[in-house]
Amino acid sequence: MLKKRSTLALACALALTLSACSSGSNGTTPDATNKPANKGGNQEVGATDTPENVTLRMAWWGSQPRHDYTLKVIEMYEEQNPHVTIEPEYASWDDYWKKLAPQAAASQLPDIIQMDLSYLAQYGENGVLSDMSPFLGNPIDTTNIADTVVDGGKIGDKLFGFNLGVNALGFQYDPALLQKMGMSDIPDEWTWDDYMEMAVKAKDAGIYIDTGMRAEVFLAYYLRTQGASLFSADGTQLGYDDDQLFIDHFSRVTKIVLDGAGMTPDQKAQLKGPEDDPAVKGEALGIWQWSNQFVGFQQLAQRDLAMQPMPGPNRQEGMFLKPSMYFSISENSKAKEEAAKFINFFVNDIEANKLILGDRGVPGSSVVKDALRPELTPQQVQVFDYIAWAEENSSQMDPPDPIGAAEVFTALTTVAEQMEYDKLSVEEGAKQFREEANKILAKNK
Amino acid sequence: MRKRAVKWSLYHVFVLVFSLLMLYPVIWLVMSSFKPTHLIFPTAGSLLPSPWTFENYAKGWEGIGNQTFSVFIRNSLVIVVLSTVGAVVSSALVAFGFARLKFAGKAFWFTVMMLTLMLPGEVIMIPQYILFAELGWLNSIKPLVVPSYFGHTFFIFLMIQFIRTLPVELDEAATIDGCNKFTLFYRIILPLILPAIATSAIFSFYWGWENLLGPVLYLNSPAKYPVSMALKMFLDNETVSNWGAMFAMSVVTLLPVFAIFFAFQRYIVEGISTSGLKG
Amino acid sequence: MNKTLRNHLTGYLFISPFLIGFLAFTLIPIGASAYLAFTDYSLFGKSVWIGLDNFKEMFTSDSKYIQSLKVTAIYVFGGVPLRLAFALFVAMLLNTATRAVGAYRTMLYLPSIIGGSVAVSIMWRNVFGDEGIVNLGLRALGLEGVRWFGDPLAAIWMLIFLSVWQFGSSMLIFLAGLKNIPSSYYEAASVDGANGLQKFVRITLPMLTPVIFFNTIMQTIGAFLSFVPAYIITKGTGGPLDGTLLYSLYLFRQGFEFFNMGYASAMAWVMLVIIAILTALVFLSSRFWVHYESKGGS
Repeated sequence: MLKKRSTLALACALALTLSACSSGSNGTTPDATNKPANKGGNQEVGATDTPENVTLRMAWWGSQPRHDYTLKVIEMYEEQNPHVTIEPEYASWDDYWKKLAPQAAASQLPDIIQMDLSYLAQYGENGVLSDMSPFLGNPIDTTNIADTVVDGGKIGDKLFGFNLGVNALGFQYDPALLQKMGMSDIPDEWTWDDYMEMAVKAKDAGIYIDTGMRAEVFLAYYLRTQGASLFSADGTQLGYDDDQLFIDHFSRVTKIVLDGAGMTPDQKAQLKGPEDDPAVKGEALGIWQWSNQFVGFQQLAQRDLAMQPMPGPNRQEGMFLKPSMYFSISENSKAKEEAAKFINFFVNDIEANKLILGDRGVPGSSVVKDALRPELTPQQVQVFDYIAWAEENSSQMDPPDPIGAAEVFTALTTVAEQMEYDKLSVEEGAKQFREEANKILAKNK
Repeated sequence: MRKRAVKWSLYHVFVLVFSLLMLYPVIWLVMSSFKPTHLIFPTAGSLLPSPWTFENYAKGWEGIGNQTFSVFIRNSLVIVVLSTVGAVVSSALVAFGFARLKFAGKAFWFTVMMLTLMLPGEVIMIPQYILFAELGWLNSIKPLVVPSYFGHTFFIFLMIQFIRTLPVELDEAATIDGCNKFTLFYRIILPLILPAIATSAIFSFYWGWENLLGPVLYLNSPAKYPVSMALKMFLDNETVSNWGAMFAMSVVTLLPVFAIFFAFQRYIVEGISTSGLKG
Repeated sequence: MNKTLRNHLTGYLFISPFLIGFLAFTLIPIGASAYLAFTDYSLFGKSVWIGLDNFKEMFTSDSKYIQSLKVTAIYVFGGVPLRLAFALFVAMLLNTATRAVGAYRTMLYLPSIIGGSVAVSIMWRNVFGDEGIVNLGLRALGLEGVRWFGDPLAAIWMLIFLSVWQFGSSMLIFLAGLKNIPSSYYEAASVDGANGLQKFVRITLPMLTPVIFFNTIMQTIGAFLSFVPAYIITKGTGGPLDGTLLYSLYLFRQGFEFFNMGYASAMAWVMLVIIAILTALVFLSSRFWVHYESKGGS
């Protein structure tokens, strides 16, 4: 008797577990967000005169302020377009890319994806992003946006991402600390030699000259000023033949560290975050970074800061306008045109941009820029002005980083770190980097 | 008597000091959550906040986007409670099978089970994701909860080890008294391995609570995010991170785990005397 | 049905949750990853069969790979014994019947609960920084401070100390094991005139061997697969100079930053083989040193 009942109980338990296994092939829970929208498409409600209801999934990275205003922009759009529902999916930078890769592998990408230059080639050339060229002009109105800005999202002939705003490189510093060094300002047409001299002055005044230069970004800048580039046009090898260029740039960078005018790598590793940055704390003159990081820098430092263009020679060849980020449309999206309409709204609508306020880069549309000016804080104005200047003083951007770029950058950072620890000479570093990089890029042949 | 009293007070002093030392980083975390964000790192050397502020807790509780932090905590609780119940029950069943029953292919399946533990999770992540996508389980907690109803190797192995410390005579005596395998499992063995069960429950709760990769992959809507993901959203590598709110909410989210531990640990402590042979 | 058949069926019935779960959720992904190990697969494109090329590259032309093996070996063989010994020590310390002991237990378990959050990485950077309390303590003792973040050899020890600090889980299991030892054994030994050390060696240790066995295997597997601490403390770089480039971290970078998923799968299977061999050795040796009260158990 006992036996039968207990085996029955066990069998029931089994049955329960089995049924849990086979449920949900249609996501039949009443939960709104579990609808077929998961398949990155829309739900058709039959052909009528009114536009069909559409649900778009939209993903972006950022932190609280960005999430807050973006949600408001979405609300604004939904009010003006009642047939559209946008489901937001947002996360921090790290988590965002971890999420996106499996989604791409399973063809489950959201309709609208925020995209970054460093990943554009990887996602675009592997066919998971759709070519947005058919949408240029209509529905994405580009009359007020310069071609160079739009082209920032092109790989070959295909437009894989729409540029949401631009950044430019520069040196952002504290004028008060400059005075402490005995200088009243930095000459507009300054050169790398001037920079090295300033480093000595900074050290004498008891501060660091800067907090280092991101290896791949600034090597690329220097190569551009010398008529070369980091990657070859077809992405199968390095874009410069003369190792002396590498040596010139990194001799400067490592000299600064080894002479004590800049932080050592292990000091940098201990920094807990941007607020710990020596420049924020007044222990370094400034930071080499992108223009859109200026506002955050100033907020942390709580004092007046200045933006200085990059040093020469050949500055114009070196400077370029980098797309800060893009919106792309996934290839598996079933509502590409609706997605494009939203992107048009995002980059052209003035009320929306009053909420965005250049957080995703200085907008490409001249009309939007003019309309925003009265709304900006003084620091944001500094950024807008800087970009306006950069527009007149830049040359064309290099093509987006090829596949394998992430690995090349890791190799470069490793070599740079070894040079800064004085474990590798700059000459050896040049050779080592070339070998490793070409090995990685050769896979693109 | 005095000698014993001295011994005991020395013991207490030693353990207390030792505990505090071990806890220093945690104490630092808690103290920092009461400092205004911009003072956390500049005053990292001194523990006591001055001024003392509760704004981090207030701000942090407001949450991110449109969700208050209570939403995230609720999400975590649902996932964790569901999966803990499933994991403990199913693991116990499986452990009993491996530890006490004889059947063909046992060694084979045990080896397979151990092997599944040794493969780095990252590489089955993508195929598994595609599998769950085919099942339509994306953007839901199903991939996070359902698998735990099929046993968790760590707990299974732990319980096996505990069952094996029980004398076989116990089983024999029970069978003579009329128990079948299931009653043997339910009435005799299970109560005797309560420490292992309590330990498994604590671990399952804690691991589920801090699991980040699973939610990152399978939960798209921020309304469904658990606390592990929510905490990361306070940080930003582009502009200012809200350390104060993040520390404050970290402290808040520690409390449930702390509570569960405190509640369950006495089941581990109240050791079962295996002189059950006599009883 | 006859008794043996019913026994087999009952056995399978009990382990059916595991079997079903394995067949449903794990078998196919594991098979897929085994296949991928022999391909060049970038997650989005097609997978291209390349035979043993991944394995060849790993062992002959990838210096970072070899480095990750070395780093992981130090982490496992240096860290696991330390962690277990520490956990056992504390468990014994807390195996008393005073009322405060519940509180102590909770306090000492607390570090493990903090887990791998970003908060931990901040704290750890604080503690091991140039001006952190560890270096302050060292200097107070007359020693030089250590460049925990700058010296590749020291950095891995920083991670080891982090894992030792989070010994709570092993401690808990040891505690459970300790509580499982009947006090009657100790009483009998006292009657026979045994002192503390003898009791420890003759009663505690042998009775604990099943749990020591469990912890050794689990901690070793866990250490080999350890990822989060290295990721958060070094901000995902494995620095300085790859001094903390744990195997799992390198695997993650290959798979999810460089999109070399085929290569990462190959790495994963090599790791599986290494762990399996080591675990098998421990299992085989267990016959000699693990003592189960249930003679004749499986």
